[in-house]
Amino acid sequence: MEDAGSLAAWITPGREQTAAGEEGFRQLYAATSRPLWGYLHHASGRSDVADDLLQETYCKYLLRHPPAMDEAGSRSYLFRIATNLLHNRIRSRDDAALEVPADRGVETNEETRLDVQAAMRCLKPRERELLWLAYVEGMSHAEIAGATGLGTMSVRILLYRARQKASGLLRPRGCK
Amino acid sequence: MMKPVSCERENSVIRALQTGECSGELRQHAAECPDCSQALTLAEALQAEARRTEAGFHPPDAHWILQRSRRLAREIAMRRLAFLLVAMRVLAALYVVAAAVWLLRGYAALPYREVASSMNGASTGFVLMGAMVTAVCVVVGLWPILRDSPRHG
Repeated sequence: MEDAGSLAAWITPGREQTAAGEEGFRQLYAATSRPLWGYLHHASGRSDVADDLLQETYCKYLLRHPPAMDEAGSRSYLFRIATNLLHNRIRSRDDAALEVPADRGVETNEETRLDVQAAMRCLKPRERELLWLAYVEGMSHAEIAGATGLGTMSVRILLYRARQKASGLLRPRGCK
Repeated sequence: MMKPVSCERENSVIRALQTGECSGELRQHAAECPDCSQALTLAEALQAEARRTEAGFHPPDAHWILQRSRRLAREIAMRRLAFLLVAMRVLAALYVVAAAVWLLRGYAALPYREVASSMNGASTGFVLMGAMVTAVCVVVGLWPILRDSPRHG
């Protein structure tokens, strides 16, 4: 009976979705979709890529996620899926080329905004990921390591270098 | 001993910036520590950028994501079933080839004759009848799998 059950689960993945699970997902989606999109948008440098990968991230989460996971665990898992998808996208296509993100909002400090965008454009995708997770999401080195698949010590060193580079880029006017 | 590459309290400073709960001692540390003050400046700039871009973002409806994930789950299930059918078809073809080789080369060999000579007429007929029924069942069972492989393959 157990064999038949596991065979059925293998054939029909994600069939455990229930009404309660759907409600939980809606809450998680409402809480995480904006930060996740912001992360993908700035790490990829493109809003169309961020839109695509956001949907793909949640679909993969729904297909795979283990049943018992609290909100923090789910959030961390979502960032990990998104990071992996982003790396796959960079590897499979050559659209890692950085573009100025589309201007979607209103900014009070135009000079700062342009500086940040220019600085982000000059960084490598990995550096942007680390900076965003550390300084926007407020993740610890261990959490970043979990989300990116790097070792904690590597995160510490790479983040330090990325921070030095970004600070250097923000002080003078952008990169050449 | 390896020199640490950043301040141990950097993450606490960043979290304090996010939550707005910054103790006086932490604020003083951030002002004095070059690592933390650099991280703080960068975090403020990045968080302002995050607020700006996220304000203009309208996420697709969760219902739409759920529908898409169900559709994907169905597609995966179909791919897996198709894989199972292909595997069964390959096994069936291998079985047919092996049975044909056995019939052509092994059936007339000694063991069968020895077994047949040791049996009386009634039991031989019974064994042959059983073998025939088995062969018919196997052919009938394999027929649907082998028949339409070009159409679905």
